[in-house]
Amino acid sequence: MGTEIRTQTAGNVWKVLVQPGDVVAEGDVLFIMEVMKMEVPHTAPVAGKVSKVHVANDQEGLDADAPAVELE
Amino acid sequence: MSFAVIKPGLETSVQDWPGRYGYWNQGFPPSGPMDSWSFRLANLLVGNPAGAPGLECQYMGPTIRFDDQTIFSVTGADMQPTLDGAPVPLWESVTAQPGQVLAMTFAKLGTRAYVAVAGGIEVAPWLGSRATFHKAGIGGMGGYALKAGQTVPTGEPAPEAVAGRRVKPEARPAIATDRRWEIEVVPGPNDDWIDAEGHHRFLSADWKLSGKSDRTGFRLDGPDWTSTEKAINKAPEHGSLPSNIIDQGYPLGAINLAGQTPIILVNDGPSMGGFINPYTVPQAAFWKLAQSKPGETYRFKAVTVAQAQAMARSLSALCAEASITQA
Amino acid sequence: MIYPEPRYLPGGDRYILVEFGNEMNLELNFMAQGLAAAIAEARIAGVIETAPCFASMLVHYEPELIGFDDLTTELAKLVAGLGPSDALELESRLWYFPAVYLDPWTRACVDDYIAKIAPKTPDWDLMVELNGLRDTDDFVRVHSGTEYWVASLGFWPGLPFMMALDPRAKMTAPKYNPPRTWTPGGAIGLGGASTAIYPEALPGGYQIFARTPVPIWDRARRFAAFEGSICLFRPGDRVRFVPCSVAEFEAIEREVIDGTYQYNMVGYGKFSVALYKSWTASLGTGRGS
Repeated sequence: MGTEIRTQTAGNVWKVLVQPGDVVAEGDVLFIMEVMKMEVPHTAPVAGKVSKVHVANDQEGLDADAPAVELE
Repeated sequence: MSFAVIKPGLETSVQDWPGRYGYWNQGFPPSGPMDSWSFRLANLLVGNPAGAPGLECQYMGPTIRFDDQTIFSVTGADMQPTLDGAPVPLWESVTAQPGQVLAMTFAKLGTRAYVAVAGGIEVAPWLGSRATFHKAGIGGMGGYALKAGQTVPTGEPAPEAVAGRRVKPEARPAIATDRRWEIEVVPGPNDDWIDAEGHHRFLSADWKLSGKSDRTGFRLDGPDWTSTEKAINKAPEHGSLPSNIIDQGYPLGAINLAGQTPIILVNDGPSMGGFINPYTVPQAAFWKLAQSKPGETYRFKAVTVAQAQAMARSLSALCAEASITQA
Repeated sequence: MIYPEPRYLPGGDRYILVEFGNEMNLELNFMAQGLAAAIAEARIAGVIETAPCFASMLVHYEPELIGFDDLTTELAKLVAGLGPSDALELESRLWYFPAVYLDPWTRACVDDYIAKIAPKTPDWDLMVELNGLRDTDDFVRVHSGTEYWVASLGFWPGLPFMMALDPRAKMTAPKYNPPRTWTPGGAIGLGGASTAIYPEALPGGYQIFARTPVPIWDRARRFAAFEGSICLFRPGDRVRFVPCSVAEFEAIEREVIDGTYQYNMVGYGKFSVALYKSWTASLGTGRGS
């Protein structure tokens, strides 16, 4: 049963730090959003392997609670 | 009386309305709540004067723990507030028992939510106001937005503070669900620096709200501006760009043209500078700015000064006891 | 030009921009400040606050108490009552500010910018080059040899924009492009034709060349000179920079930290526009000594 990491806020994606196939530890930063010129890092809630990435560098105007990264 | 900050949210600050007046000539903007419609009603729900100090929450709301029995309300954006895990209705006064936790997460609809507690927030005023200008370190809790671990002092509730008061649905701001906003603007002060095609382009285009927007300014993406003779043939001390002017005072709500980029100056914006302001957003339209999200679309509609003032009067009439019923 | 009558321009539903002219001319600022003083004295019901700027003034009003047309009529009456700017006598405090010119702190900041952001002629050399001066000592003599008039405050809380009152000390410089990401607090700089003091460490674009240890920003409200505000200056203040050594800077800095520093302010003068104009008319055109 996989884990879905969703956007915690509306805003832009500043940097995506992982791609499918990457193995991440709990707490690793997966991507960083930017809102009100502030950085909002999104971390892996558990260890796992990245299966899907729905976000891209410099992607603009995302909603909150949008699917962003999936771990197997 | 007080509440504790467990999680601060993205940028949550104490604001009062109308904010900090009287220090514009020393460069202090008014600050205060960007959506004063939702803010004033939050206060009236809990028996406070409309302008009493409360919280403005932006994008991601805080988690707070009440230290005492407290009557509170949440208005504005829907940040899915819960009290000890149970959903809390927006636009209604609610009782919290000592130790109960109010948690708010991301805004599902809108962007800015307001939390009022009966008795108001009782931090020391800075230059006559508790409004926070976080970037300049003025006002609110020690000059800044809330931090985890802080204890926020609150005042004595008024006798009128009871739970179960609700704002009539027709008296609440209608937050756009289709990502499009019509924003009223008054031409001026520097509308004569833009030519007829430039005005037409501004008023007929879709403008996108940039993510690089905050309480100091709302940046817009859209078509170019074109100028009149006045903007091009001018004394060299104005500066070299058509949008440069000798430094002048900026009205709150000015659409400030930095080169080709319009930036709407909002509550913590600069009080003066060297760029022109061809239009100004009137106060009664600020709630729309406050509740819009990056990527959403603005269409601007020109109104007169008189029409803008009538809008403000209508809004003030809604921010009154007549808009509230007992549930 | 100086407009024969000011223009009254609407700024949304609550503001009026009063434009006195469209050139950089101290006289326009005197008119703006004269009108601000007249408004305060007249206590027009519905005027919340005013803020003078270089050649204009912003008025913030409450539409529930006074309408745009009525307020414009009142303002025009006050302007007519003021008469020509020569008749103006403005409240004006004079502050003496010790400052280290060609100081190590702004030098380090400029060197940092050159190393990390973009090459440029170091700021005080640029001031010499662009203003026909002999050398940096000449620049210090000229810059510190005049009183500065606080024409307005803003863009950032507490940031003063000051004009040289002695026309022989008038200098200009371009702003940084791109701007610096930081400037030491207390740095003194020049951009366009105005001199500024940075109230705190802030990004900035002025050419910087001196630093003062005397705070113009007092968040903790420790100094009586601030008269209840966090910002020291008001429009119409004058400032005289007094060149001092690094050792004197550090001694003053210790007094500031202690809270024992005594501001040097002369509060018994008024600024007479007529006397100012006759004085400037009597000056030669060289950079006098």
